[in-house]
Amino acid sequence: MFKLETIGMAFEALVSNKFRTLLSMLGIIIGVATVIGVVSIGAGAKAQIEEQFKNLSVTSIIVFPTRGTGNSKLSEDDLGAVLAESNFVSEGNASVSGSSNIAFGTEQASATIMGITENFFSVSNLNFLHGENFTLQDNQDRNKVIILGYTLAETLFVTPDQAVGKTVKVNNRQFTVTGVLEENGSSTFGTSYDDTAYAPLNSAQQNILGNNAQVRLVFLANEVELMDLAQDEITSILRTEHRLRDNQDDDFQLRDPGSIVSSATETSDTLAFLLIAVASMVLLVSGIGIMNVMFVTVAERTKEIGVLKAIGAKQKDILTQFLLESIMLSITGGVLGIILGMSIVPFLKDYGAIQSISGAILGFTFSVIVGIFFGFYPALKASKLDPVDALRSE
Amino acid sequence: MTPLIKLENVHKSYYLSNGEEIPVLRGVDLEINKNEFVAIMGESGGGKSTLMNILGCLHPVTSGKYFFEGEDIGHVKDDFTLAFIRNKKMGFIFQQFNLITKLTALKNVALPAFYADTDKHKRETRAQDLLDSVGLGERSGHKPTELSGGQQQRVSIARSLINDPEIILADEPTGALDSQTGAEILQLFTDFKARGKTVIMITHDLKVARMAERVIFMKDGKVLDHNYKVPHV
Repeated sequence: MFKLETIGMAFEALVSNKFRTLLSMLGIIIGVATVIGVVSIGAGAKAQIEEQFKNLSVTSIIVFPTRGTGNSKLSEDDLGAVLAESNFVSEGNASVSGSSNIAFGTEQASATIMGITENFFSVSNLNFLHGENFTLQDNQDRNKVIILGYTLAETLFVTPDQAVGKTVKVNNRQFTVTGVLEENGSSTFGTSYDDTAYAPLNSAQQNILGNNAQVRLVFLANEVELMDLAQDEITSILRTEHRLRDNQDDDFQLRDPGSIVSSATETSDTLAFLLIAVASMVLLVSGIGIMNVMFVTVAERTKEIGVLKAIGAKQKDILTQFLLESIMLSITGGVLGIILGMSIVPFLKDYGAIQSISGAILGFTFSVIVGIFFGFYPALKASKLDPVDALRSE
Repeated sequence: MTPLIKLENVHKSYYLSNGEEIPVLRGVDLEINKNEFVAIMGESGGGKSTLMNILGCLHPVTSGKYFFEGEDIGHVKDDFTLAFIRNKKMGFIFQQFNLITKLTALKNVALPAFYADTDKHKRETRAQDLLDSVGLGERSGHKPTELSGGQQQRVSIARSLINDPEIILADEPTGALDSQTGAEILQLFTDFKARGKTVIMITHDLKVARMAERVIFMKDGKVLDHNYKVPHV
């Protein structure tokens, strides 16, 4: 039968030698704090990567026109050709971008203007807060409709929900606002989605950016595994579209940002693993420290153990008591380590650390395991002491 | 009537690390009845303490038989059984008191009852009663280092009585005390015997031995005399 009071006795034993208790906990404290620091940095790095790339799918393939190859141009026809012929790609959009003034009444802003095909938002993981997307027809008819990013809508209107249906002036032409996007927070290629206005591709080319603006195509491969095949296929379709001869270079470039995302994620995973391995080493060493201290404690209290046996303590009682001492030692160390770790995380902000509960849980679990594992052998040894030998020791 | 304790041809040897045998008890025969007050005397190295350790179930015998309340327990190795006997049937008194220094007198006295799974309130009430009965009721909150030798020994007697044992085993209980204090301790043993209990006490002090009803004299690992007449000095 386990007696709760054994915990009290273990506590008294630890308190009776505060300095040593503190010293032996130090390893655990530092170990757990390290685990928390490390996990926080790892979590922070991961979150940063995710934030940076949240609008990029790992399957996206971007096609740019190559600069300086004269008449190099991508077009909606290219988009249509790839979508029609490709076996590995079923989604894609075309876009142009530039900048222009945009005004509502007296409010003015300089904004990035993107001309897009209507499926741009779904490919880029962008959602509508108010209103709705324009249609295929709007693009074909070059209708002057526009969709605003969240911050831009806030700048021009007091509250973004008032924007829908209003008319804004872009490049001195009247555009009707059909929708406002949800706040996104991130940016890609240096442009924030929140500060951008979106018009149908053809309308933007004709009314705002002019026909020289370069069209960019974004495709989504059906599977991550098909990325290489999809890129080869897009290249060959576009070469045919552009009527390039075999000895001519491509007049476009493909980029595969997904591979950047996955290699960045991989790097941060490797880093996190490495750091946790280091922290585990610290905990292992601190465990050996605890084992050492427990051996010293057992040696010091050999006589006491003999007395306890003489008055009727069972081996199990002795084992429990010493094991509890080492567990309490490491749990207390673990808790102090968590407090220390949590309080240093804010100082690690520059390294991207963010508070993570999993670090605390991991550190605490580790410390309990260390206490049980390294406390068991000394406790077992104490419980097996011969009572007569123990009583004789001084 | 079955004797409380009966030893038949008990041998006990220690073994050095090179395997050499050191015989300490060489065939002890002994009977002690319930409600006796027995002293064990003898030269040092004669096996008194080893005998006491065997009686107290701290050691198994090497050969021979040890009957306690009619049961042969000399070869029992099961920790649970041995701990139970030490806890419930016997009370140990040591020359150096052997109190747990970080616990108060009250907690020291209550400790064997803790191992007997007695609930806290019950055992501490009884511990306080026992401290009252040995004249230390006021000192229950003191730690051993704050008590005199005689007081510490009285605490240890109270401790030995908490589980209401059949027998007290005392190894030189007055050895570290002056004669006045020693006499007070011996009076407590006499009181214990008066309640129908048994006392076995090792001593080398003739005056102390004279307090017992019977003195057993040991020499060279054997009982030389089962009823030794203590000479008057």
